[in-house]
Amino acid sequence: MKAKRRVIMSSGRPLGASRTPRPPRRRPALATVVPKPKSEPRSSAATSQAEAADAARDVEIDLSVDLGRGLVLPNPILVASGAFGYGVEYGDVVDVDRLGAICCKGTTLKPRIGNPTPRVTETPGGMLNSIGLQNPGVDAVIEKYAGTWAGWNVPVIVNVAGESVSDYVEVTRRLEGVPGIAGIELNISCPNVGKGGLQFAIDAGAAGEVTAAVRRATDLPLLVKLSPNVADIRPIARAIAEAGADALTAINTLSGIAVAPGRGRPLLGNIYGGLSGPAVKPVALRIVYEAAQAVKIPIIAIGGVTELADVLDFLSVGAVAVQVGTAIFADPTLPVRLVDELSAECRRVGVTTHLDLVGSALPNRAGAPSAKGVEYRP
Amino acid sequence: MTMRLAAAELVESREILPGQWLQAYHAPTIASGSRAGQFVHVRTGDFSGMVLRRPFSVNTADLATGVITIHFRVIGRGTEWFTRLRAGDEIDLLGPLGRPFEVDPRSRHLLLVAGGLGMAGVRMLADEAIRDGRQVTLLFGAASSREVYPSSLLPDEIEYVVATDDGSLGHHGFVTDLVPEYEAWADQAFACGPSAMLAALARQAEGRRGRLGVASLGRKRGGGRGDPAGSPAARRKAFLQVSMEQNMGCAVGACLGCVVMSTSGVPQRVCREGPVFAAEELVWEGAWS
Repeated sequence: MKAKRRVIMSSGRPLGASRTPRPPRRRPALATVVPKPKSEPRSSAATSQAEAADAARDVEIDLSVDLGRGLVLPNPILVASGAFGYGVEYGDVVDVDRLGAICCKGTTLKPRIGNPTPRVTETPGGMLNSIGLQNPGVDAVIEKYAGTWAGWNVPVIVNVAGESVSDYVEVTRRLEGVPGIAGIELNISCPNVGKGGLQFAIDAGAAGEVTAAVRRATDLPLLVKLSPNVADIRPIARAIAEAGADALTAINTLSGIAVAPGRGRPLLGNIYGGLSGPAVKPVALRIVYEAAQAVKIPIIAIGGVTELADVLDFLSVGAVAVQVGTAIFADPTLPVRLVDELSAECRRVGVTTHLDLVGSALPNRAGAPSAKGVEYRP
Repeated sequence: MTMRLAAAELVESREILPGQWLQAYHAPTIASGSRAGQFVHVRTGDFSGMVLRRPFSVNTADLATGVITIHFRVIGRGTEWFTRLRAGDEIDLLGPLGRPFEVDPRSRHLLLVAGGLGMAGVRMLADEAIRDGRQVTLLFGAASSREVYPSSLLPDEIEYVVATDDGSLGHHGFVTDLVPEYEAWADQAFACGPSAMLAALARQAEGRRGRLGVASLGRKRGGGRGDPAGSPAARRKAFLQVSMEQNMGCAVGACLGCVVMSTSGVPQRVCREGPVFAAEELVWEGAWS
């Protein structure tokens, strides 16, 4: 399989051409060497077929992803913000050091108590949540968790939320230089209180403005999370890329409502919730597909990843990595298993890096976006 | 014991009341590590349709056989899926989860109060209390006699008192009506059921110390106001401990979906700081207003 389109990294180097040794990572939290898959000892009684299989197994698969600014993910399977807390909650059930990265719970300047309950409910093929960014505030997060994170090999990316540009900038300043923090993911699906509560994520100007402000405030790798609740993602993605983001993550949840069975009233305490899970995957695929044609920075896909086939789908529409969210609740061991399965898949199809699988579904020339009409072709 | 993922084989499944099922699973690691009040988070076999696990109280746990039971009502697709399992089928359990009931070592008389499915929340505490030589009275409330938990499924040693909303069995009225009679007898009370029932019990418990003149008893040990909210010691000293229910996502404290409001103003996770709380730790009315 050959990628139709080359994804250009922030260093200006095409991904497919970067299989030579990668630059050393600079951040202390990331200083440890990425473990390579071990080759298994050969059996003396092996048949020629088994030997061939062994030879295939000996090929080193490089799953690392360079997001720029010294952030190299050991593999492309991340855990999504909100689904994995601060990385400590699953305890011994998950070996966090085998993950590509952890995006922690949304973090704000001040502590937030979050939304009224109920906050979660299952929906067909997915779930709605309206946690309301409950968190103890950035200072408490640093104090409680950064020390633990610094001891891990896995990069921890802090998800940052705010109600004004200055909120985002201030949270970012406090994270800057803290050992154990490998990067920042901006959750811009928050109301901009200064602009009448309009979300940053739905307006290219506001999205670009907040990205640029945070960019000026930090040298940390900067990821910005796209909202799917927009008519056309491309101008927003472009504005964020031009403002200096190192990567995009897509998608945040889709806005939705559930009605309490038999009661005829909204089920969630907050009325609105964010839809996630397998139900949103086609939407996520479409947004990544469109964003990948609009920007040259790497895209990390999120939305209904529950098995290897989903990972491959997102790679083919232009993502270089994926985040697993809702599926963790059902199967906390899934992300680590996906790392092994992706490695095996690369061997099976004969590529040495999953980046060779990126973009195969993208058109040679930019196609019409869904905003131009989905079913109707002029 | 720390939580773990375990495969559990269905041993027995039966409908003990209309729409209510009791299932026994062979899960030795979970059976040996569970305490009354804790729960398991169970995966359905249909992930793409049902993305969330289902939390169930550990209804009973038998160390000798390694069998735990869960008790549930069929209320949706998930619980319906469980009823279709047959003996020998395997499911995936995450547990034991949450914090258990804490019985003060000095308590001789335990009052258990259960409303409907709340029975599953306190059922195991009856076993533990009898094992430890305590006396147990279990007050149970249901809508009608058709939904009254069979006494044959309870230990012989406990006193079992029933209230039904329609008066078809036992006391005609709410189970909380029965509580004042046991207020002086009980050293501690433990409850699980609808939130209105728990709120009523919390109100009843509030005035108890004053009425009985035992206000100073709990303060003699531990130097008075010391135990941090949510600590096992704080629960152990409380007269009323409640097992809370809430829509749940991860069940390990990661998603913050299942919170209840505490008097400290910080929402507490039912899955992690709970499901058992001292009644006085929680805000019962207007929590989010």
